[in-house]
Amino acid sequence: MRVGVFICHCGRNIASVVDVHWLKNEAAKLKNVVFCEDYIYLCSEPGQKFICEKIKELNLTHIIVAACTPSLHGETFSRTLESAGLNRYLLEIANIREQCSWVHQNTPKIATKKALKLIEAALAKLTYAKPLTPLRVPMIRKALVIGGGIAGIQAALDIANGGFEVYLVEKEPSLGGHMAQLSETFPTLDCSSCILTPKMVEVAHHKNIHLFTYAEVKNIEGTVGNFEVTILKKPRYVWEDKCTGCNDCVDVCPVIVPNEFDQGLGARKAIYIPFPQAVPLVYTIDLENCLNSKKLIVCENCFKACGPRAIDFLMEEEEVKIKVGAIIVATGYDLIPLEALPEYGGGRYQDVITSLDLERLLSPSGPTGGVIRRPSDGKIPKSIVFIQCAGSRDPEHGRPYCSKICCMYTAKHALLYKHAVPEGKVYIFYIDIRAAGKRYEEFVQRIVEEERVLYLRGKVSKVFRKNEKLVVLGVDTLTGRTVEIETDMVVVAPAIISNNGGKALAQILKTPIDEFGFFTEIHPKLRPVESPAIGIYLAGAAQSPKDISESVAQASAAASKVLALFSQKRIALEPIKAEVDVKLCKGCGICVKTCPFGAIKIIKKKKKKYAQVSKAVCQGCGSCMGACKFRAINVAHFTLKQLFSQVDALLEG
Amino acid sequence: MALAQRKPLNLEKFKIPRGRVIIFEELCKGCELCIEYCPKQILELSEDYNERGYHYPVLKSGMEDECIYCLFCQEVCPDFAIFSEKVEGEGHG
Repeated sequence: MRVGVFICHCGRNIASVVDVHWLKNEAAKLKNVVFCEDYIYLCSEPGQKFICEKIKELNLTHIIVAACTPSLHGETFSRTLESAGLNRYLLEIANIREQCSWVHQNTPKIATKKALKLIEAALAKLTYAKPLTPLRVPMIRKALVIGGGIAGIQAALDIANGGFEVYLVEKEPSLGGHMAQLSETFPTLDCSSCILTPKMVEVAHHKNIHLFTYAEVKNIEGTVGNFEVTILKKPRYVWEDKCTGCNDCVDVCPVIVPNEFDQGLGARKAIYIPFPQAVPLVYTIDLENCLNSKKLIVCENCFKACGPRAIDFLMEEEEVKIKVGAIIVATGYDLIPLEALPEYGGGRYQDVITSLDLERLLSPSGPTGGVIRRPSDGKIPKSIVFIQCAGSRDPEHGRPYCSKICCMYTAKHALLYKHAVPEGKVYIFYIDIRAAGKRYEEFVQRIVEEERVLYLRGKVSKVFRKNEKLVVLGVDTLTGRTVEIETDMVVVAPAIISNNGGKALAQILKTPIDEFGFFTEIHPKLRPVESPAIGIYLAGAAQSPKDISESVAQASAAASKVLALFSQKRIALEPIKAEVDVKLCKGCGICVKTCPFGAIKIIKKKKKKYAQVSKAVCQGCGSCMGACKFRAINVAHFTLKQLFSQVDALLEG
Repeated sequence: MALAQRKPLNLEKFKIPRGRVIIFEELCKGCELCIEYCPKQILELSEDYNERGYHYPVLKSGMEDECIYCLFCQEVCPDFAIFSEKVEGEGHG
C-alpha cells in the first residue's frame, strides 16, 4: 500500500486558517504515506494533472485528498484517479474546509490539529478499502410524469418527442392544471388557454404518451432505471373510449353544484367536464353530488340520454401497474385558503376574493364571460383594493418566503380591470415590487405610469363591511399615514403553498420535502431539477413558487436530464451495496423489516436460512448494517471494519 | 369563501328538467316508498284518507315546482299510483 496525500489550500479558504505546511510535514510521517504535498487549487486542471502525474511517477496505490466536501468535488477526484489508472474507490476525501477551516476560523491551532486527525481517520478507513466496479443493469427507457399542468405537459412532450414512451398521470378529470384557469398571462398578455390548449391536444394525440387523467400514483417501488409504479384510476362512471363529448347528458342532469374549476363562482352539473376545452373531452360523474349512489340508482336521465351508451354506474376503480426508468414530479401548487386570512375578511365576506378567483372572472370562458362581477350581488365593482403578500413573506402565517408571481399578476389584474372599467379605481397595497424577469419591470412601470393605478407601500391591518361596501384599513409607510379606503371588492394575493397531495407523494417516492412541503433538489444552484432520490426529477411549482416561463424551462431541463439518462440501454449503479456474510447470518429477518427499499429477502438454501440483498434495489443506506445483531451485513466502501477504524483514529490521543 | 358556500354567478345558464307529479289517490295503499325514495324529498303523507282508508302522498307545500322528472317514484310504486309528466320549457336551478 503506497498512499499519496494531497492537501488543498482552496485559495485562502483553508490555508488562511489551517497551517498547511505543518500539516504536510506531519501527514508525511503517517504509516504507509509515501508522498505528501500541498497545492493551491487541487480541483483546477493543473491540480488534477499534478495528482495524476504523482500517481504514475511514484506508483501510488491509494489517495487521500484533504480539501472541501466530497459532495462538491468527490466526483472530480474520483475521475482523476480513474484517468491515472486507479480504481475510483481507492480515494478518501478528508473534508478540512466545511468540517474544519470554516467552522474553526478563530482557533487556527486547534483547526490545524483537527485537520491532521481528519487525514488520519481517512487513512484508517482507506487501509481497508477495496477496489469496486460499478454494477450495470438494464434500464427501462420509459418515463412517468406526475401532474398534468403546464410543467408536466412540457416535460412529457419533450421526452415523447425524444422518442421515448411517457406515462402522464393527472389527478383531475382534465389536463391543464392552474394555467388552464388563467385569463391572460403576463407580461405579453397572451390568452392563457389559447397557448395551452394546443399543447394539451398534442399530449392527447401523441403516439408516445399514455395519458391517465382522473388517476393518482398509489405506489412506487424500485430504483432508477427500474421503477415499478401502481397507478390508481378513479372511476369516472363514463367510459373514455365511448364518450363523444356531445353534452346530451348534461342537459338532462337535474343536479347543479358549484364548479371547482371556476373557484365556485360558476356552476356545473353532477355529470360534467370542468371547462369546455378539457382534454380528454370525456365527461365525469361526481358521485358525491349525483342523486345516485353505489347502492341505489335513482335517476337514469344521463344514462337514457347517452347515445353511445358510455355511462356505467357500476364502474370500479382500477389499478394499473407500469414499469419506468425515470420519474418527473410536476405536481404544482395550491393557494393558502381564504379562511386562513381572517384579517383581510377572508372567508367572512363574499366580495373578498383571491387572485385566482379574479382570473376566472376575467376569463372569457369563465362564469361571467369575462365581465368582472362581485360574487355577492353580481354588480360590476367601481373600485378594487388589491392586497399583495397575503400570507407570504409573513412568518405569522408560517410562510416567510416570497410567492414570487403575485407582483406580476396583480399588475396584470390592475391593467385588465382598468381596460374593462376605465372609470374604476384601483389601489394596490404592496411591500416591494419584485419584477425580476424578462420585460417584467417594464410591464409594471407601464401600469404604474399609464393606467392611473395607486400603489400604496404598506400592509393592510383590517377589512370590514360597511353597508354594501368593504372598508380597508391600512398604512402607507411612504407618507407614514394610515389610510381608510371604501371599496366594492378586495382581491388578495394568497401565499402559494405546496400541493395538498405533495406530502403523501413524497412518502411514496421516498424523496425529501422542505418544511413548507415543496420538493427539495440536490443542489439549489447547480442541480436544481434533480431530486436527491436518483432518477426522480422536479419540474414547476412542486419545487418552489414559479411563473409559467420558469416552469416550462425547468420542465424542459428535467426532460433533457431524462433523455440523457435514456441515451444508454444499461445503467451504471454505484457498487456501494449491502453484502451479507452467509457464515454469520442467522436469517433472523430484522434487516428485512429495516430496509426502507424492500431490497432484502430471507431465502433458504441447504437447510440454512439467510438474507439475500437485491443489488439493483439496494441504495446502500446502511440501515440493515446498523440493525444486524450478528454484524453479518456490510455496505461496500463503508464496511464496519472501515468505519470502526475511522472512528478509532479520530478518538486516539 | 369556501367554494361550496359560494353562489355561482351563472346559474341562469343552467337548466334542469322539470316534471309535474300526478298522483292517483284512490290507487294508493300508503306504502310510502315514493316518499322515502324521492331524491328531492318533495313528497309527504296526506292528512286525508282515500276511499280505501289510506294516507296517500301529496307534494309538500311550496315544492310544487321542484320535481326533477327522474321518474323514480313511478319506478318504485307497486300500484302505478304515481307518475310524473315532463314540463316543457325547463326550469332554472
